[in-house]
Amino acid sequence: MKQEISALMDGELFEDEAENLLDRVKRDSDTHKDWEAYHLIGDVLRQPECIHRGLSAKVRERMQDEPTVLAPRGRAVKQKMRTFALSAAASLVAVGVVAWMSLQVGHEAAPQMAMQQNNLHPASVQIKSRSNDYLMAHQEFSPSTDMNGGAYYIRTVSYNPDEK
Amino acid sequence: MRLGVLLCGLLLAVANVHAGERQTSLDWLKIVAFAAHQTDYGGVFVYQYDNRVETSRITHVVEPDSEYERLESLDGPKREVIRHHGQVWCHINHKMVQVGSRQARNRFPDLLPEQMSALSENYQVKEAGVERVAGYNTQVILFQPKDNLRYTRKIWAHTDTGLLLKTAVLGDKNQVVEQYAFTQVQIGAGVDRSWVKPATADVNSASGKPGSGLPGAGRGQGTSGLHGSMPGMLETGKGGTPINSGWVADALPAGFKKTMEVERPMHGKHAPVTQLVFSDGLSAISIFIEPFDADEDDADGLTTRGAVNLYHKVVDKHLITVVGEVPPRTVMQTLDSVRYNGK
Repeated sequence: MKQEISALMDGELFEDEAENLLDRVKRDSDTHKDWEAYHLIGDVLRQPECIHRGLSAKVRERMQDEPTVLAPRGRAVKQKMRTFALSAAASLVAVGVVAWMSLQVGHEAAPQMAMQQNNLHPASVQIKSRSNDYLMAHQEFSPSTDMNGGAYYIRTVSYNPDEK
Repeated sequence: MRLGVLLCGLLLAVANVHAGERQTSLDWLKIVAFAAHQTDYGGVFVYQYDNRVETSRITHVVEPDSEYERLESLDGPKREVIRHHGQVWCHINHKMVQVGSRQARNRFPDLLPEQMSALSENYQVKEAGVERVAGYNTQVILFQPKDNLRYTRKIWAHTDTGLLLKTAVLGDKNQVVEQYAFTQVQIGAGVDRSWVKPATADVNSASGKPGSGLPGAGRGQGTSGLHGSMPGMLETGKGGTPINSGWVADALPAGFKKTMEVERPMHGKHAPVTQLVFSDGLSAISIFIEPFDADEDDADGLTTRGAVNLYHKVVDKHLITVVGEVPPRTVMQTLDSVRYNGK
């Protein structure tokens, strides 16, 4: 599960896989916590001086403290309804923008995270076995092979204990 | 006036010393490349990358006809790579696969003039003292890139033979990206060559090598063509046929010159793959281009192993893969600039 989440954050899942996983993240609170933790770790790695722990909970609290705007009396009910609908639409758009932004950030940050904290992202650090063929094909023509003999070939047959 | 002349002379002298120093460091590279091919050696080395360490044994033997080399993993599942006469076999999980071969091509020492000028244009090369590695004295040489599109290299070359006993690849902040180091090594006499067949033997009997046993799988794929050009080889192991594919990359870092452009068969692929190789003398970047097969579960993305980064992306119904011993930003930048320019 955790591997899937990190793969998702690294942008390594297919669209349908990602959708399924996002659905699960929404429904399952444990998975959701993992999702949050992983992003928190990423934030800490990138900006250790400013950490937002439990950000979504805090936003929710603040939202509850916000004064409720009551429409002045005397207006037609229809009008009121329309205002409500409009503001609802606006907040939906806002949610959408925030979600979109977080997706963008997630994508961009993924490679950096992968490089900085390997333990958390086994999936992204390890070259998949099908990539070995490319590595091998590249290795044949790399000047490093000429300088260091075949020692570099160990890279192309490196095994991954986490790989199934 | 006299002072000016004196100053000029002094400046010239300093410049000369610098050029001389650079030349000595570059001379070391020739020695290193020569030693890698012409020295018998065998030993145990560690390869450290990311947060992992692997131990392997390597044996390299030079016979009058060519070089033999065997690399065995000592940790984890048994893996073995055998190289002989430009052919590469890989022994993983009791399966022997011939994974490729390179044509006899110009070795590093022969490519010197252009590679060397690329090197000194793009790296600051300097000697960095003498250190002891695996019980031998080594000369340390540092290659510091002049841009941030390549890694810093540090090599430790045996002062007597020039054999590399340790190498390290360093990142932007001088952190170790990966390193190789011999912990024990035998140079010259006394290297075990019992596993190497006499040079005159039929190559097919390579399957009789103790411990290396090239099984039917490899042989069926045309190992009999080791020295020749059997027709079967073209399909499986040949390094490829030179072509002009019409594909170009505009954003390669300065000094990367094309060293090869071939259409080659690749293990696990049905159709031939176009491979372009570029090098700045120390690192290489390969660009692989193949028709994109929608069934393949290849997603776009970056993968890293030590100093090697690999980036996949689908461009114009082609799957492009860029692999190189360069930082992630360089493979990504290179891939994004790949385009078809017509024949």
